[in-house]
Amino acid sequence: MPLVTLEGVSKSFGKNRVLNDINLTVEAGEVVCVIGPSGSGKSTLCRCVNRLETIDEGRITFDGRPLPAEGRELARMRAQVGMVFQSFNLFAHRTILDNITLGPRRVNGVRRAEAEEKARALLERVGIADKADRLPRQLSGGQQQRAAIARALAMEPKLMLFDEPTSALDPEMIQEVLDVMRSLAASGMTMIVVTHEMGFARSAADRVVFMADGRLLEVAPPKNFFAAPASERAADFLAKVLTH
Amino acid sequence: MRMSLTRSKRRTAPTDAIDATDSTTRAASGSRPRRPLRGAALLLAAALAGSLALSACGDDDSSDEPAAATATTFPAGSTMAKLQSASTITVGTKFDQPLFGLKNLRGEPEGFDVEIARIITDALGIPADKVKFVETVSANREPFIEQHRVDLVVATYTINDKRKQVVDFAGPYYVAGQTLMVRAGETAITGKDTLAGKKVCSVSGSTPAERIRTQAPDAELTLFDVYSKCAEALKAGQVDAVTTDNAILLGLMDSDPGAFKLVGEPFSTEPYGIGIAKGDDEFRTFINDTLEAAYTDGRYETAYKDTIGKVEPDMPTPPAVDRYTS
Amino acid sequence: MAGRPEQRSEHRADYGWSHIDAVLDNLDIFREGFVQTLRLSLFAAVSALILGTGLAAMRVSPVPPLRWAGTAYVETVRNTPLTIVFFFVVFVLPQVDIVFSYFTFAVMALTIYHTALVCEAVRSGVNGVDAGQAEAARALGLTFSQTLRLVVLPQAFRNVVQPLGSVGSALIRNTSIAAAFGVQELTGISQRLTTANPGDVVAVLLAGIVCYLVLTLSLAWAVGLTERRLTRTPR
Ligand SMILES: Nc1ncnc2c1ncn2[C@@H]1O[C@H](COP(=O)(O)OP(=O)(O)OP(=O)(O)O)[C@@H](O)[C@H]1O
Ligand SMILES: [Mg+2]
Repeated sequence: MPLVTLEGVSKSFGKNRVLNDINLTVEAGEVVCVIGPSGSGKSTLCRCVNRLETIDEGRITFDGRPLPAEGRELARMRAQVGMVFQSFNLFAHRTILDNITLGPRRVNGVRRAEAEEKARALLERVGIADKADRLPRQLSGGQQQRAAIARALAMEPKLMLFDEPTSALDPEMIQEVLDVMRSLAASGMTMIVVTHEMGFARSAADRVVFMADGRLLEVAPPKNFFAAPASERAADFLAKVLTH
Repeated sequence: MRMSLTRSKRRTAPTDAIDATDSTTRAASGSRPRRPLRGAALLLAAALAGSLALSACGDDDSSDEPAAATATTFPAGSTMAKLQSASTITVGTKFDQPLFGLKNLRGEPEGFDVEIARIITDALGIPADKVKFVETVSANREPFIEQHRVDLVVATYTINDKRKQVVDFAGPYYVAGQTLMVRAGETAITGKDTLAGKKVCSVSGSTPAERIRTQAPDAELTLFDVYSKCAEALKAGQVDAVTTDNAILLGLMDSDPGAFKLVGEPFSTEPYGIGIAKGDDEFRTFINDTLEAAYTDGRYETAYKDTIGKVEPDMPTPPAVDRYTS
Repeated sequence: MAGRPEQRSEHRADYGWSHIDAVLDNLDIFREGFVQTLRLSLFAAVSALILGTGLAAMRVSPVPPLRWAGTAYVETVRNTPLTIVFFFVVFVLPQVDIVFSYFTFAVMALTIYHTALVCEAVRSGVNGVDAGQAEAARALGLTFSQTLRLVVLPQAFRNVVQPLGSVGSALIRNTSIAAAFGVQELTGISQRLTTANPGDVVAVLLAGIVCYLVLTLSLAWAVGLTERRLTRTPR
């Protein structure tokens, strides 16, 4: 059974049709990378999956059920979907450890000691165990993003959404974040990753999704896609990003 | 803290939010029928209108009464002679005091004070349409007289020694006194000695408010800024009596006919006089003579019947004028 | 109620310190007014803080009817003069059998009015918090109220201390309207003492002003202290 399905999904901001009849299925354990030119609707697509954005038409299911409307049911569903933002969005007034334990404690009712123990293990795993008691602003961008990934993982999600997780990072920090994501992919996590990192897409993705102007133009294994894109738009796009 | 606006079944609502040690302002007790919102709405409307209304003095040279052409001759150089030859006079009166001096819809003041002023201006031979009324509020009565902006002031003006140092008074022509107003159906309160444990309303910082503290020390005092609020609270049963000069109380009764009545003997004396410039004894004597004449020839009684008499038909004996020597 | 105000003998030619006697002789009456003003302020401040925060939550909630109701309340109340609110509470509520003491009525009127002001202060503070914070919280599975309580409001609070202080200061000054609606607080007491001592009006009014200053300056001091605490880095 697929973990996520999108059927005929469309969305507009005012007159701007940002998503246009999107159909996509993501199987459990799959890593799907979404690429495409700026403004093509990648972030919106990603945000629709956990209903941070609502859709105008079509249907999205998660784990076999349509997304619930706003309320407790939706909160429960979101608890099973981790999300990593471009701008980290760590809770600025709380320490890194508190950032990570907040969800498990308040949403899943895990006891403090247990939650903290697990949080420290996760921080170890993303390589910033020594930062547990710092505030977010005391960390570098790469460290903050790794902490944000740890925060999402602490909920033991079935799916991880990444919305351009490295776009706000200095080049020397990009790799440390991608390394964490690679190991996560290797561990069998289902992931939807919006990214401009073609190297990551090529090496870590099971399938690559190419979007332009709100449409899903191509879905293919990275090998095929990068070697021979089917559409002219994709070929153009690749020509531009790969020469840089 | 709970601040819900739920309906309370009992009138003495338990003030669960705030401790109710403040005994002077505790809620009223005793069950009363529900009242329509009209009273409060009117009060509110009046307050709004009052705050918006400009305090412009009405130029009222419009009067349909023919000029009284009495050819009395006054001593040359006297105020009376001057006024008579000028054939015009300016009178200060209240514009907001029902039954005494209250501006009507045409912008002209009406009331007992206005009628008393007319008796005097008639005696001076000044045509009614040449009598100019201007508003004198309590605070500007002395200055207006001293600056000769008015020739006389008939404005619920209590004669006292302090004022006599700067102006002179003819009269008194009426003696007001502090008394009590209660709901028309009230039986328990018959005077200031029956107020123990009752809620009495007056205006914050006023002399009557201070006086009632000593005259009825066991009463609970509730204070507002204007008497109309006291009347509304009395009507709603939140207070049991309103106290101030009967002149004001009569005005409140006039604006809500049948709702209230006065009880008990007055427990203060407020002789109302006619204020004129200090030292003009000739003019003062003339006004006193005129008043005394009006007492006997029925003009005073007519003035009373047409104004205060509508609310309080029993006319008190007119007070003896005080021809003091300064 | 304390006793009758002391009437002072006339000091016509003397405009010196002796006028202070009008205040000193009536200190117990003055204190009574001060305490009443303080109680009005405290009760109304606590109620308005709680209700105003709740109202702000309504105004930023994802449920449209709640948002509309919140907006309607704020716009109605904010555009109504406080005196009219007092009028409504003191003279209209009794018509529908809602009767409390005049003190409670005054607290209610002040609360109704300042709840709207607190709401706007809190709401602007909430809007000052980066939207990504709330998004991250929702993405974790926190409910709306958890998001507000655990993530947004604590961060909004530091932006809100100063504006809330202004609301509080306005509230303290606005308690004086209660003098016109059956509560003898500082202003009412001052009026009473000026009647009893017409020669010492200035001294009595100055004493009243000092009392209000004591309250508003204490509040300003507390606001400053809180702000300094909050801007210091925890741990
Ligand atoms: N909240 C919003 N309100 C109005 N328009 C929006 C909103 N969010 C996105 N858009 C518009 O929708 C379009 C798609 O935006 P989206 O962020 O999904 O693109 P993207 O593919 O992620 O682009 P980028 O690579 O630059 O992040 C853009 O034109 C954007 O301006
Ligand atoms: Mg984007």
